[in-house]
Amino acid sequence: MKLELRNIDKSFGEKKVLKNVTLSAEGGKAFGLLGRNGAGKTTTIRILMNVFPADKGEVLLDEKPINYDKVLFGYLPEERGLYPKKKIIDQLVYFAELKGMSHSKAVSAVDYWLDRLGMTEYRNKRLDTLSKGNQQKIQLITAVAHDPQIVILDEPFSGLDPVNAMLLKDVVKEIISKGKIVFFSSHQMNYIEEFCDSIAIINGGQVVLSGDLREIKRNYPRNRLVVRSLQNEKIASEYEGSVERGENGDIIIVLNTPEEKKSVMSKLTETYDIDEIKVYEPSLNDIFVEYAGDQI
Amino acid sequence: MVKQFGKILKFEFKNYITNKVFIGVTLFFVAVIAGVMFFPSIKDIFKKEDSNNIPDVSGDLPVMLVISDTKENSEAVREAFAATFTNYEVKVADTDIEGVKAQIASGEAECAFVLDSLTSYTYYVNNLSMYDNNTAIADEVLRSIYRVNALVQGGFTPEEASAILTAPIEGRIENLGIDQMQNFFYTYTMIFALYMVILLYGQMVATNVATEKSSRAMELLITSAKPTAMMFGKVIATCLAGLIQIVAIFGSALLFFNLNGDYWGGNAIVSSIFGMPAGLFVYMLIFFILGYFICSFMFGAIGSTASKLEDINTSVMPITMIFVAGFMVVVFSMSSGNVDTVLMKVCSYIPFTSPMAMFTRIAMSTVSIYEIGASIAILVVSVIGVGILSAKIYRVGVLLYGNKPKIGSVIKAVLKA
Repeated sequence: MKLELRNIDKSFGEKKVLKNVTLSAEGGKAFGLLGRNGAGKTTTIRILMNVFPADKGEVLLDEKPINYDKVLFGYLPEERGLYPKKKIIDQLVYFAELKGMSHSKAVSAVDYWLDRLGMTEYRNKRLDTLSKGNQQKIQLITAVAHDPQIVILDEPFSGLDPVNAMLLKDVVKEIISKGKIVFFSSHQMNYIEEFCDSIAIINGGQVVLSGDLREIKRNYPRNRLVVRSLQNEKIASEYEGSVERGENGDIIIVLNTPEEKKSVMSKLTETYDIDEIKVYEPSLNDIFVEYAGDQI
Repeated sequence: MVKQFGKILKFEFKNYITNKVFIGVTLFFVAVIAGVMFFPSIKDIFKKEDSNNIPDVSGDLPVMLVISDTKENSEAVREAFAATFTNYEVKVADTDIEGVKAQIASGEAECAFVLDSLTSYTYYVNNLSMYDNNTAIADEVLRSIYRVNALVQGGFTPEEASAILTAPIEGRIENLGIDQMQNFFYTYTMIFALYMVILLYGQMVATNVATEKSSRAMELLITSAKPTAMMFGKVIATCLAGLIQIVAIFGSALLFFNLNGDYWGGNAIVSSIFGMPAGLFVYMLIFFILGYFICSFMFGAIGSTASKLEDINTSVMPITMIFVAGFMVVVFSMSSGNVDTVLMKVCSYIPFTSPMAMFTRIAMSTVSIYEIGASIAILVVSVIGVGILSAKIYRVGVLLYGNKPKIGSVIKAVLKA
């Protein structure tokens, strides 16, 4: 299963929100959509879910235009909210039924998920009697109870404590392992890094970087060495002019070419007392700041 | 889509009928109507207990003094006035004008007629009330005395004279159309109910939509269901809930009326309301439902463009104004007695005003079946058109947050969607 957005344009009035956006996500893998606030993530998701049509471009599933009557989407919106005054079981069943489930199937699916997320005791409570984190777990059920093929999670981890974040991670891993397409949108890079095989960074309505996350990282120039040593100052003075300060007092030596790497590494380990030396790989955070930092 | 509509309808309907406020308001109205309808019976029970000590009020009638130029005239006028002013104790004054004035000032007498002759008088009264028509009555009595006297002088006997003056005229009314007097009260009641109910339930739809939007449940709903299914589901669910409420209120009123038929049968207004012909009631239902639909669709669309619940009241103002204007036109033409004015005819074809205007014309005048058919057809077509349009506005509106959107930008967005 492969979901693609091709050459999507969208304007609201005079404002061009999306410019020629092309993305693709595969089943059994998680896709991460990154972007700063207002970059066009939510608009992309809404076009993907057919809330409104694109001005130009198409949404394809397995190379064919997607049939919204057949494909089921699960959606956890960034703006969370259900019916605060309604009984939890009633509204969860209602949402599952709207997605086409029969009443009895909806009830059993909702009960399964309430149990899975440890929320069974709140089954007959009103939503507004729950804490914010627990309300978020209830909202997650609306995204998964009807067994959708495509699950879209917009900032799923915000507001969860570490235990609940763990629980959600397990759920997400389980959904991915079932071969479904999971579409993440988040600012929390560590989660994206953990789950997503491929990413797209969207900035000012344009995709500025997309592809396999590992490849993106590997394609970064491998001409930097991270060195951790008690003799940092000495090393720094020897390589003056090509040294950057890293985190935790590490120093980063920038080489003229990646090929010098081997000789410099062996020279350093022979001359100094080195605790650790490795080729610098950028974190997703660094990549994000580099590509999305400048403009909106 | 149809399945979704069914689910939404069921969910929204259940919301209403399990809502404590909804149940409370319905019961309150039923209780108020019960109170009014049973009031005479209850009053009777107390009256029976109290019947022994009702005081004799005949001695307490206010005093009216008369005085004329001669004693005979004074006596004749007193007799004639006593026969006419039954709520006064009419006496011939035994003093002069100053004495009469003093008696009125002191409260011994309430008013006095001081006659110079049988055709000229001065009326003295302590406080001239707005509703004091004593002089008009006195004019009539004096005029008739004068005429009888004139006829008697002309050679008739007093009996002949009074027979001439009070010759009875036999008149019969054959109404070939509709009796406006009789229809006025129930038409008025129904129009008022129509107006209230349509605006009230329209407002409910607007609030319902805006609540979903402000609680952000909309984010999920809009990706789960088709806007058209949502709009129609909500509007029809509210309509059903409204009908149930109306049936409960009017049904219990009818029941209580029948239970207390002995007390209310004599009351022209009340028995006119309950004596409404069944055919008219069917028209009432048709116009209620169509009028409600067109209004609620508009209200729903407006509710979807509001970001905050507080904004709704100002946003729905234009539609409310059209309704109020229609209501005014209808009520004024009803009280003027002519419901077939050009304005009313025009109003009875314009979708927003036609439920009230056409219903009034059917109830209080004779309207051909073609005119009624045309009005209903226009209304049905407009309901469908407005329904589809409002679903489009809804689809665009629910995703607009922040500032109140301008009408122009909403229209643009709707055209594009």
